[in-house]
Parts: sequence; C-alpha cells; structure tokens
Amino acid sequence: MNEKNIKKTVLHAQNLTKSYGTRGNVQDVLKGIDLHVDEGEFVGIMGPSGAGKTTLLNVLATIDRPTLGKILIDGDDISRMKDARLSTFRRDKLGFIFQDYNLLDTLTVKENILLPISLGKVKKLEAEKRFIDIADILGITDHANKYPHELSGGQKQRTSAARALINEPSMVFADEPTGALDSKSAAALLKTMEDVNKERGVTIMMVTHDAIASSYCNRVVFLKDGMIYSELYRGDKTRQAFFQEILKVQGVLGGDSVDSI
Amino acid sequence: MTLFDLVFRSMRKNIKHYYLYFFALIFSVTLYFVFATLQHDESVVERSGGSMGAAFSAAGILLLIIAGIFVVYANAIFLKRRSREIGLYQLIGLSKSKVVRMFMLENILLSSGALFIGIGVGILVSRLFLLLLMKLIGFDGYITVTFSTSAVLQTVLVFMVIIAFTSIQMLFTVYRNTLLHLFNADQKGEIPKKPKSILSAILAGLGILLIVFGYWLSGNMMNDLLFFNMLLVLASTILGTYLLFRVTIGWVLYQVRTRKQGHLGLNNSLSIASLMHRMKGNANSLTIITVLSAMTLTMLSGSYSLYYATEQETRYSFPFDFMLDEIRSEELPEDMISLAQFEDALKAEGIAYTKSKLELLGVEGEYKNTNFPAIIGPRDVLWNSYMINAEQLEEAGLDIGIPEADTIIYHEAQLGVFVKDLNLPFQINVTSSEPHRTFEVVKYGEGDVYNFSTGPQLVVNATDFERYKKEMAKENFLELSPEWVVRTVYALNITDPKQLPRASEIYGGKESIYGEDFYSIYENALRESGLLIFIAGFLGLVFLISTGSILYFKQMTEAEQEKQSYKTLRQLGFSEKELLRGIVRKQIFVFGLPLAIGLLHSIFAIKAASFLFLSDITVPTVIAMSAYGIIYLIFAVLSVGYYRKIVSEAL
Ligand SMILES: Nc1ncnc2c1ncn2[C@@H]1O[C@H](COP(=O)(O)OP(=O)(O)OP(=O)(O)O)[C@@H](O)[C@H]1O
Ligand SMILES: [Mg+2]
Repeated sequence: MNEKNIKKTVLHAQNLTKSYGTRGNVQDVLKGIDLHVDEGEFVGIMGPSGAGKTTLLNVLATIDRPTLGKILIDGDDISRMKDARLSTFRRDKLGFIFQDYNLLDTLTVKENILLPISLGKVKKLEAEKRFIDIADILGITDHANKYPHELSGGQKQRTSAARALINEPSMVFADEPTGALDSKSAAALLKTMEDVNKERGVTIMMVTHDAIASSYCNRVVFLKDGMIYSELYRGDKTRQAFFQEILKVQGVLGGDSVDSI
Repeated sequence: MTLFDLVFRSMRKNIKHYYLYFFALIFSVTLYFVFATLQHDESVVERSGGSMGAAFSAAGILLLIIAGIFVVYANAIFLKRRSREIGLYQLIGLSKSKVVRMFMLENILLSSGALFIGIGVGILVSRLFLLLLMKLIGFDGYITVTFSTSAVLQTVLVFMVIIAFTSIQMLFTVYRNTLLHLFNADQKGEIPKKPKSILSAILAGLGILLIVFGYWLSGNMMNDLLFFNMLLVLASTILGTYLLFRVTIGWVLYQVRTRKQGHLGLNNSLSIASLMHRMKGNANSLTIITVLSAMTLTMLSGSYSLYYATEQETRYSFPFDFMLDEIRSEELPEDMISLAQFEDALKAEGIAYTKSKLELLGVEGEYKNTNFPAIIGPRDVLWNSYMINAEQLEEAGLDIGIPEADTIIYHEAQLGVFVKDLNLPFQINVTSSEPHRTFEVVKYGEGDVYNFSTGPQLVVNATDFERYKKEMAKENFLELSPEWVVRTVYALNITDPKQLPRASEIYGGKESIYGEDFYSIYENALRESGLLIFIAGFLGLVFLISTGSILYFKQMTEAEQEKQSYKTLRQLGFSEKELLRGIVRKQIFVFGLPLAIGLLHSIFAIKAASFLFLSDITVPTVIAMSAYGIIYLIFAVLSVGYYRKIVSEAL
C-alpha cells in the first residue's frame, strides 16, 4: 500500500459527466465520476449492462468527449485538447484493444501491428525490433504474414493486443478483450496482459463482464447507473480469493452474475 | 401489413441506397429520350439528309446498349448493397417468392418513376440539345421542337425491356444465393494471394508486351493486311489491358508490398492494400472502363478534329472561293454558269471580288528517288499532273513562295500526313516535250493550289514555266489545239467573307468542269462533321458519365465497406487529414489509371487514324482529351468528398 502512494498518477479524472440526447430528452450516462489510476496499475471496470462502462472507457481514452469534467493523462489536460492534438496524443501515448478486434482486413498481422507507429518518428529498424519482441511475447510470430480472416479469434485478439502495445503507450484501454474468446484463449490473453503489465510496467484499464478476467487486475472498479458503486483492491490476495470477492459484489450489483459462471 | 406497405416502408428507409440507382435510371432515360426525339425531329431529318440518318440510327443502337449495360450494372451494385436486406427478409420468415414479389414491385415503382421523370427532364432539355445540334451543323434559322409521341413510345418500350432485365437480375439474386452468401456479399473482398511467381511475372510482362505490340502495330499497319492488322491491334491491346489490370498491376503492387516487409505505412495501407484486396473483382470492370474510355476518347478526338479542321481541310482542296474557265456562255450547257454571267451577277449585287488568271500546263513524266508509302501505291510515272506558274499563284493570293530555277514545289493535298515521311529532294523528269527536262523537287507545299485538283501540281517559277510552255507548244502535238496544252482558268476570291454565302448562292452550286465552289463544299462538310461531332459528343457524354458513375458507385460501396477500418484508424489516433491523404492516393489510382491508359490507347489510335486528315489535329485532340480528363477529375473529387464524409462520420 505504501509503495503505491509513491507511484506517479497516469490518469486522473475529476467529476466526469456524459450526457446523450438533446434538450428535453437528455440521458445522463456518466454522473460525476472521479478516478485515479497510478502508473503500472491494472484496473478492471465492471458493472451491469448499460452502466456506462464503454462510455467511460471511450471518454477516458479520448475517443469521446465528456460533457463536463476534467481528465489528466500524464499531466496533460485532454479535455481541453483540440481534435488534431488528441489524435496525435492517442497515437503516441495510448493503446487500444477492442472487443471485436477491429483489425484491418486488408492488412497482414504484421502490417496491422506496425500501423500505429507508421507515421511517427520510430525508425524502421527500431520498429522491426519492437515487432519481434511483442510478437514473441504474444506468440504470433508464426502468423506475421497471415491475413486476419486466416486467424482464430484468440490470435486476432492477441494481434489486436500487439497493435495496442507497439507504440509503447503509457496506458492501454481494453473493452471486453476476452468477450469473444473461449476460456482457454481468454486465460492466455489475460496472462500476457498481466505479464506486459508487470514486466513492462504498462498501465492497463480493462472493461469486462467476466469475474475471472477481472481477477487478473490489481483493482476492480464497479459502475452502476453511471456512478462508481465500489472498488476492490487485490492487494496480496490470491487470484482465487479475489475472484470470490468480485463475485460477491457482482451478486449485490446484480445483472451480470450469470456471465461469470 | 400488405406488400405495398412493406415496399413503401423499405423504400423510405433505404432512400440513401435508392437515389443512386434512381439517378442512374433517370439519367439513362433522359438521354435516350433526347436522342429519340432528335431522331424523329423533322428539321433534323431534313437537315441531316439520308446518309446521316443511318449514322443516327446506328448511334441510337449503341446508346441503347450502353444505357442497358449501365442500368444493369448499377442495379447489380444496388442489389449487392442491399443483399443483407434481402437476406434479412428471408430470415424473418418471408418466402423467397414473396421477397421477389416485393422487390419486383419496388423495381417497377422505381423504374416507372424514373421513366416518368426521365422523359419529363428529356422534354425540357431536348430543345437545348437541338439548338446545339443546329448550331454545330451551321443552321441559324428558327427552331421548334415538336413533342414527339413516337419518341416517348420508343423510350418506354426500350426501358420496359431494360426493366425486365433488372427484374430477372433481382430474381437471380434472391433465388440463386444462400442466406450466408447474402449476408456476406457486401463485405466481400479477397485476400491478396501470393502470386505464383514465375507464371505471374510472365503474364504481367505479357500484358505490357501485348499493349506495346498493339501500339507498334498501329503505327505500322499500312499494308495489304490493313483490316487484319486493325483487328490484331484491337485484340492485342484489349487483351493486354485486361492482363494489365488482372495480373500486372497486382503483381507490381505485390512486389512493392513485399519489399516493405510489413512496414507498410498508413498511406499504403489505405491505397495499395485496399486496392489489392479488390483487384480480382475490379479487373473486369476496369478493363471495360479503360477500353470504353479509349474508344470514346478516340471517337471524340477524331470527330472533334474533323469538325475543327473542316474549314482548313476544305481550303486544302479549294484554295480559291471560285474557279471558272473562260468559256463563252453559248457553249455551256444550260445548268452551268459562265464566268461572264457570274461576274455580272456579282457586280449587280455589289459584291467585291478579286480575279486572277491561272495557266495550267498539263504534263507527264516520271519520278526518281521517291519513297511513296505502299498505301498510296508505288509511283514511278507522273500523270494527270499540271505545271503551274508560282507568280500567277502569288497574284491570285496564294502565298506559297517562288521556287528557284529548275526546282519544283510539289503540291498534292491527298498525300495528307504521309508527306512528313517522304524523302526530299527527289527528281521529276518531265517528258511532255523533247528534250526531257529534269526538275528537282525541293519542298512539299500544303494542300492543292487550284480547286478540285485530282493529281500532283508542280509549281515552278515564271521563267521555267514560260520556257517549258514554249517547248511544249513547239513540240508538234499533232492536232491538239493550244488550249489543250495550256488551260486558262480564273480564280475568284470574294473580298468580304460575309458575302461569300450570297456569292455561292448566285453561283448556285452549279458544276463547272472544275467542280463546285468552296463555300458549298464547306457548308456540306460542316453539316456532316457537325452531325458527327454531335453524335460522338452525345455518345461520349453518355460513355463518360456511365463509366465515371460506375467508378463512383464502386467507390461509394467501398467507402461504406471500409467504414469500420476508418473508425478503427481514427480510434488509433490517425487524423481525418492523414486518412484522406491515403484515400486520395487510392482515388488517383482508381480514376487515374483507366483514364491514363485509355488516353494512351486513344493517342495511338488517333495517330494511326491521322492519315484521314489533311491537316494537323494536335490542338483539337488535346482539347477533347482535356475535356474528358476534367470530367473524370470531377468524378474523382466527388468520390473523395464521399470518402471524406464517411471518414468524418466514422468516429
Ligand atoms: N451514442 C449514444 N447515444 C445515445 N445513448 C448512448 C450512446 N452510447 C451509449 N448510450 C447509452 O448510454 C448508456 C451506457 O452505454 P454503455 O455502452 O456505456 O454501457 P455499457 O456499460 O458498456 O454496457 P454493456 O455492458 O452492455 O456494453 C446506455 O443506456 C446506452 O443506451
Ligand atoms: Mg460496453
């Protein structure tokens, strides 16, 4: 616990509000969320369907803009940035793993992975080195020249993860990365995410419905109706114990318990 | 819910998909109707004469074919975009026959709407086209367009057939495809396979080779096998074009991509990768579009050149406004006008003119050291030829220069473009008197130097001319009277060009032994070339808009298919501008390549056909081709605009 206080804050969201709709028919999806994420944390976000998880992730990941509130990433106030700067910021500092992979069908695995650093200052030699490292960690070296439709779901998801990591981001956002995977592939991916988090110190924020998945995290944040309902820290607990704890909260929250079985 | 409700509901919801197809239909109907109206218009029929009526009918059939292909193609794209919907209806339990009935009904509603609007628009714009046509063929009178029932009937009939075709197409789509197929049809692409290296490389090279061979042959086909050569050129170029799109380009792109070793970069990802993804499916349409473009360009440039050069070409054969002999009127047949009568009439109407005397000395002889091309035929004997005095020509206003002693400036308009390949100097040994005299030909002059010439004209200076005339007169030419040695004719030029039509009217287009006058020939040529350029322009416009729209439609579909990619890329942090850069690159390729290859093809075609022209046609060709390119550019810009919309809405 003590150690954590020394760590740098990578993400700080204050009083985040997001509303959809026009006047007269406004729906508040996020209702004032405060969230700190420290460097090197692996944060899980859970909550019933419609709680606003994806919305929160999108807002934090600069893909969407909050209606109110302030977001600091690495000390930069992203809620004030212009679109063009946000794009560059995303490309340089953030990584994304999408639920449905979102790989480009027209590109090979390697081309997909190298895409995020294709316009940056990364030299070709350096890019090649990074690719070899990441492909090795994620076990997709052999598939480098295949096209996405020649891959299994798990391989696609790992490709997607590799693409998220290639630019050495300060933070990775993942929206239900294991949603479409069988339990074995899911476990493999989560294990690699854990490794990347531990060994490379990459901060990860992951939305999931799956209690098993969130048991890999250091911390799980529960959302309900656009507000933070509670938070759980793993601390020194075993994964199994943490998993049980998560299940309990989920049971109280309702909605998603069926998924976790 | 009745079938009608369902149809209306789906049409309302799908308006975005429909408007394209709807537009394609309306466009085809309008143009066809305009054409049919002109075809049936009395003033057009009257002005354009019988032979041109045939050209009109042929063009009508061609137009029909293009319109048919275009509509069927647009319908295919339209159906592909909606295949998911077709699948969905079946998924929720509508039987195939019910889906067919529904789409049929929709198609009929849509088509009759388009037919109605198309004819309406056609009625509005046909007057415009008629005015244009009349202007082109040089008619200044008052024009009325009569509403033509037969044009309406013809259009309705033709489009009923086309609609029947599209309905069958629809039928096939519903019945022939499985649900899975329907659901994936709008997502379909291909994975660029590794080309089998040797075979692909050979085919890739062969494509280029065939095109180059076609080009080469097109410049060297003037021999006995002309017709066979033309077919060979066509076959070789078309096959080469197909291979180019089907193999060569894919092969080159593959090589480029492999070279990159995965470091493709954003621009290439959006252009090369996306193109390779659809190369196979696009090869056919790109080939057709390129060949059509080449044909259209050739047709347009050719006919525009013809129109553009009409006056010049006529002048080449008719250097003087009028040319008459001095023959007393009582010796003339009744329908011919004598010089004296003509001059009197001109004076009576106050039309100023100049009159010069020309002497034409009929000579024979033989050529030495010439290289006339095979198509003109080997020439060693000079016959049917006149020797002419350069100074008299100069006096008559023909500024061709005075040749030096014993040299000839050689004129023969028929030689046309072949002139530039002929060697100079060569010799002509004139044998009409003893002793024979050899002249050196030092220059080819442009065109003819007297009206309605049928053979070579040897222009010499006054001294040489007079000397030879004397020698010929001395030669005892048996009973030949002097005027058979020298023909004296008078060249008349009207001072004010505005009075030329009236003068021509006085002359009455009557035939003298030297043929008609300049103006009536010019007017006739203008009428024919005007009609030709109109038909070519009309068809060209249809070709152009059809091929341009097909490319545009295809790009719209692709843009929609790639929407998710653009969304992902923007989420990954690429800006709209960066994405558009890659997209523009792809558009340059998609629109530029067919245009560029089409242009190249047509340049060679025009070059091969340039022997038909007496004058230089570079300017009109360049103008026609630029116009074509600009319209293509507009389509490319539209397409980029559509992509921009998709990209900016992606996030
Ligand atoms: N673009 C939008 N416009 C209007 N409402 C939206 C939009 N996106 C999301 N919402 C609404 O916001 C609420 C939260 O959506 P969100 O996608 O964040 O939920 P979630 O927690 O991710 O749910 P799930 O677990 O099902 O993915 C939902 O009620 C949804 O209807
Ligand atoms: Mg969600």
